[in-house]
Amino acid sequence: MVVVQADSLSEENVVDHLIDKQKHAAAPVKSAVDKFQLLPEFLKVRGLVKQHLDSFNYFINIGIKKIVRANDRIVSTVDPSLYLRFTDVKIGKPSMVVDAISEQITPHMCRLSDTTYAAPIWVNIEYISGSHGRKEKMIKNDVVIGRMPIMLRSCCCVLSGKNEAELARLGECPLDPGGYFVVKGTEKVILIQEQLSKNRIIIDNDKKGNINASVTSSTEATKSKTVILMEKEKMYLCLNQFAKKIPIMVVMKAMGMESDQEVVQMVGRDPRYSALLLPSIEECASHGVYTREQALEYLEAMVKRSTYSSSSTEKQENRALAILRDVFIANVPVRKNNFRPKCIYVAVMLRRMMEALLNKDAMDDKDYVGNKRLELSGQLISLLFEDLFKTMITEVQKIADALLVKQNRSSRFDFSQYIVRDSITNGLERALSTGNWDVKRFRMNRKGVTQVLVRLSYMASLGHMTRISPQFEKSRKVSGPRALQPSQWGMLCPCDTPEGEACGLVKNLALMTHVTTDEEESPLISLCKCLGVEDLELLSGEELHTPNSFLVIFNGLILGKHRRPHQFANAMRKLRRAGKIGEFVSVFVNEKQRAVYIASDGGRVCRPLVIADKGVSRIKEHHMRELMDGARTFDDFLHEGLIEYLDVNEENNALIALYEWEATPETTHIEIEPFTILGVVAGLIPYPHHNQSPRNTYQCAMGKQAMGNIAYNQLGRMDSLLYLLVYPQRPLLTTRTIELVGYDKLGAGQNATVAVMSYSGYDIEDAIVMNKASLDRGFGRCIVLKKYTCTNQKYENGASDRILRPRKNEERERVLDDDGLAAPGEIIRHGDIYINKESPIETRGPLKSAAALADVKYRPCAQIFKGTEGESCVVDRVALCSDKNNNLCIKYKIRHTRRPEVGDKFSSRHGQKGVCGTIIQQEDFPFSERGICPDLIMNPHGFPSRMTVGKMIELLGGKAGVSCGRFHYGSAFGEPSGHADRVEAISETLVKHGFSYNGKDFIYSGITGCPLQAYIFMGPIYYQKLKHMVLDKMHARGSGPRVMLTRQPTDGRARNGGLRVGEMEKDCLVAYGTSMLLYERLMVSSDQFEAQVCRACGLLGYYNQKLKAAMCTTCKNGDKVSTMKLPYACKLLIQELQSMNIVPRLRLAEA
Amino acid sequence: MESVSYQRFPKIKIREMKDDYLKFELRETDASMANALRRVMIAEVPTIAIDLVEIEVNSSVLNDEFIAHRLGLIPLTSERAMGMRFSRDCDACDGDGQCEYCSVEFHLRAKCITDQTLDVTSKDLYSSDHAVTPVDFSDPSDDNDPFEHTETQRGIIIVKLRRGQELRLRAIARKGIGKDHAKWSPAATVTFMYEPEIHINEDLMETLTLEEKLSWIESSPTKVFDIDKVTQQVVVVDPEAYTYDDEVIKKAEAMGKRGLIDIRAKEDSFIFTVESTGAIKASQLVLNAIEILKQKLDAVRLSDDTVEADDQFGELGVHMRGG
Repeated sequence: MVVVQADSLSEENVVDHLIDKQKHAAAPVKSAVDKFQLLPEFLKVRGLVKQHLDSFNYFINIGIKKIVRANDRIVSTVDPSLYLRFTDVKIGKPSMVVDAISEQITPHMCRLSDTTYAAPIWVNIEYISGSHGRKEKMIKNDVVIGRMPIMLRSCCCVLSGKNEAELARLGECPLDPGGYFVVKGTEKVILIQEQLSKNRIIIDNDKKGNINASVTSSTEATKSKTVILMEKEKMYLCLNQFAKKIPIMVVMKAMGMESDQEVVQMVGRDPRYSALLLPSIEECASHGVYTREQALEYLEAMVKRSTYSSSSTEKQENRALAILRDVFIANVPVRKNNFRPKCIYVAVMLRRMMEALLNKDAMDDKDYVGNKRLELSGQLISLLFEDLFKTMITEVQKIADALLVKQNRSSRFDFSQYIVRDSITNGLERALSTGNWDVKRFRMNRKGVTQVLVRLSYMASLGHMTRISPQFEKSRKVSGPRALQPSQWGMLCPCDTPEGEACGLVKNLALMTHVTTDEEESPLISLCKCLGVEDLELLSGEELHTPNSFLVIFNGLILGKHRRPHQFANAMRKLRRAGKIGEFVSVFVNEKQRAVYIASDGGRVCRPLVIADKGVSRIKEHHMRELMDGARTFDDFLHEGLIEYLDVNEENNALIALYEWEATPETTHIEIEPFTILGVVAGLIPYPHHNQSPRNTYQCAMGKQAMGNIAYNQLGRMDSLLYLLVYPQRPLLTTRTIELVGYDKLGAGQNATVAVMSYSGYDIEDAIVMNKASLDRGFGRCIVLKKYTCTNQKYENGASDRILRPRKNEERERVLDDDGLAAPGEIIRHGDIYINKESPIETRGPLKSAAALADVKYRPCAQIFKGTEGESCVVDRVALCSDKNNNLCIKYKIRHTRRPEVGDKFSSRHGQKGVCGTIIQQEDFPFSERGICPDLIMNPHGFPSRMTVGKMIELLGGKAGVSCGRFHYGSAFGEPSGHADRVEAISETLVKHGFSYNGKDFIYSGITGCPLQAYIFMGPIYYQKLKHMVLDKMHARGSGPRVMLTRQPTDGRARNGGLRVGEMEKDCLVAYGTSMLLYERLMVSSDQFEAQVCRACGLLGYYNQKLKAAMCTTCKNGDKVSTMKLPYACKLLIQELQSMNIVPRLRLAEA
Repeated sequence: MESVSYQRFPKIKIREMKDDYLKFELRETDASMANALRRVMIAEVPTIAIDLVEIEVNSSVLNDEFIAHRLGLIPLTSERAMGMRFSRDCDACDGDGQCEYCSVEFHLRAKCITDQTLDVTSKDLYSSDHAVTPVDFSDPSDDNDPFEHTETQRGIIIVKLRRGQELRLRAIARKGIGKDHAKWSPAATVTFMYEPEIHINEDLMETLTLEEKLSWIESSPTKVFDIDKVTQQVVVVDPEAYTYDDEVIKKAEAMGKRGLIDIRAKEDSFIFTVESTGAIKASQLVLNAIEILKQKLDAVRLSDDTVEADDQFGELGVHMRGG
């Protein structure tokens, strides 16, 4: 075993360390300008979970203010002059109210004490108070209306802007990226939700193969889905509010486009389009709809009559128009009854449908990443908050009205008293802790939005934070959304996806991906107009689609057209690069659709790229030098227009070269580093580009199960289950990603010297043979920490549980301290008592006096440790805290140190998992003439079918690494840029140190001492110990507990259950003819029951213990009762049938 | 049945000897003998190692089992080990392994009272027996040790303590063998190789040009051959550097000179490299191994008479019979 100690407790800055490393890491090939250094800088400003933090910060700083501003008034309906106005809202510092005193809290305090890490929501209010005509305007500042759970490391969090030492003082791990919440002591992540983009036209085929254009509109006021569908060459509108599909021309007429010619002009005068439109026009005429009034009348008849609507018929008249105005493509606003923008929008939709009909290429792809939006925690919380805030306003209004209606109130009416505090706090807390986003107001009902942050390993928690949960349910058997999209390049990790049902649906962000937040629209709109966009209002339908002009579409809204789209786009981009408009605004010229799309909405994925002018990178050597010297930051690169963010759509306008030397004069951008197309979890695979792709996917799943270090504060945490490695190491063969994310500081594995050979026969089917001496010396040794909680309950009548001192010489109370709790450091075994607790017998009734409490009767209620028999655990620590109801809460951490045993699961970083097949003495192990003896032996059959060449290179690189004392690199696609060592170079190093260039060694058998016939491929490979261990799984049972109802053995290991002879096992026994065995298994060892059956009536009787005779209940005698054996389940069935008035009679015959 | 005697008398020639390093030749015997010696050195030469730890106070960052494991792996000077009793068959203490014949007691008391991190090392372990102490690597006689820094070479670090942390424990060291746990193995490296016999076909070699000779010499990853500067002939400088990698043979074949070189392993001579953990001297390790090997062979010879074997060798006899 090669020991490279992970300096897990070092306090150096991750990034500073890296810069240092880069200097002396010999790069085989030096690129023209080494842009790698941008990456650590990027991650320094961005962190690994910036998308979550940005989104939440946006909500806290801007979003919440917008919501409150939009709903800032509570006006009493009884007395409209009484009102309350919210003038401002802000979020304070995280605190907790203890005994009416607000106390600052830290996230770690919350984790330990099972509380929520939340900050008060402060509002400034202005309200009219008064009574009996005397009214006063009052102003109150900093009124708490609720508590907002705070995302760790967001701008409100106490951890933001803290350095390592300060974080350590707060009990926080400096490598922990934040981005999650602490709700009731558990860490909750809001998963990134994938959605189809809102307010965009999507042309698609429906199930019948008809072309349709759909728009999911979403504005502050309404949310709707509009579908225009082409069926039998005619076009229809499908809208929820209409009972049937409506001919589209009727809709156009109802919006005031009475002339068919106008519609044709608006769609475009291309004769092909006119011809396609003709059937629709004719259909409209056939319905006798010619004028706007007729059209509205027609629509009126189609409106779904809501059953509960009781409004007057007069009001109903306008419903069709109201639907067209408010629901139909709701994202296009109708101002002053001007339907023209909506008409144009419909015309564009029609035009695109017809284009798609003529040319299949024009069809949109729903799975295209550019058509998707990622919904992040900020947006989700903002929805929730908006709903809760509005609910609170209506509630306050109701209370106010109810109070004001009362005639003679004595006190002055004060609005500010009724701003309820708990509904918002509880609503937010409930949603976060259950993950159910149930927002009726927005017709939203989602489950599993939040998940408990996986703390199995550092990688698992990072991977969890970058996970994207899919929009579809997983049951759908479609391949499209699961397939790898070319547009995912650089945005979503191509490797990291689970296997099985969620395969391809659950995705992960790539290393450099950024998710945008909303940006102010109006300045951008006016800017567009300044840059020569011709306003829609001033254009005739004819002019709209003139051949030399492009439509300008801003966030799904048609702004107008531009005659020189490329100049316009370039101007916008220049402004963006100059920092005059937001860096995440995307400008995309769609030549096919003859439109310029400008997007500033939130949820788009984008990534940074180096800008190149005519193929020459804007980043020069001196820029990088300044970066190294610290004179420059990543943001400077952005502001100076050297780097820009491109979203998926804009990437289509760019020609991106992978490397600088590959750039041609047409190249517009250059990638920063190719390995950033992989995500965080895939990034720790060395040489992934040499592996078969599924292997990388498997490793992504397994890397999350590997044991190692969780965080620097791992021993101070109180997780319910924690797996730690005793001697974690940093991989000998690292990648740049490993260093960037800090896996080298919180490793999850050990460098094992592996010999690829067969040995002992216990290595078939991927099993590995382990060296006992290595295990003795600490290889694969792990610590399992389990938490046990117990509360000292207080009861209704004032009585409470009590903890007793242990009695002397009581074996089971051996581990208890004088206070009745198990002492830390004590060895605790199965059946030991760890809290000597007693509970009062009487818990209900009225509150008792102190005197009465003294003679309350107690019954013992000791907590008994249920571990595995024979396994000795140690009490690691005991923590006392008070819970929500002020009960004493006792938490135990029980520790168990395990050494690997046969059956424990191990895996390399290449999706090559295997169990330990046998453990063999060191002297029996093969050895080389240098005295190197492998830690484990892997069967060579693992290689040919898996094709994990990366593992072989890892072995070579690792071997070269230990012999020359330098960590070798294996970053993905890193050979050309020098982030991966080439095999040639590695071989040279090997030869220099006296090894064979191919990594094979001359080996002697440890048993005979004779040399082996073949040279053995041997060297260090980083091995992970996975959380699946035999000790947690092994199970056997002779006899044991049974289920009460059926008297059959219980099920499952946790209940010490039986092992089932199932359907197929039964079939085997039947086919084999072993009837006695079958009888024994299914009857004698299961639920045999002796039943009394009456031969006269065929019903079950009973055995009368007094008379010592069997009786039949129905016949009232015991004459013809026989005893027989049958499964208890059968007896149960008979009785259950009887209870349903069915008489199952048994007819007995002599056997 | 009278059998032919294959008895041979192996010879040992010591090449290099230091306290913890020994290189010797073993000749006129076969692989089974050499390997038996190697296996005994790794697994059956007894040493003393900490086996039981009673922790009084541990407020360090490492947990009790962790520290106990680390203590166990510290090599202790074990010259006494051969003469000690295994605690399981010690009569003096009824097998609980706490008596002077079968155990050595250690004490460790460390508390950090300064702001500087305190390294608790093997030097903080106080032994009840001056003959059994943690191995001292900062050997004064070995001055040219490049890794020796007076500050860092304080011993083997057990745990680091920060202000206020304390470690107090009592440890019992016992005799044991490497078969039971690697901590009792006195051997860091025990390996042997067959001595290679290298014959250069001089006639064929003379057909090569100097460049060809050089490139052929270069093809070996280890420095086995060199060119004589005067005669420009290829000479074997270090046959033992040869790792049986066949590179030179392959190279010769690639050059079209099959049979240029003939390398054979001498079946009956071995070159042993023994490195000790420091528990016993490398030379003593070999001697002890031979002693134990002899005992084991005696047990085999006496295996017909089980009672006698039991009397003589205790559990070793039972062990030899597969018990």
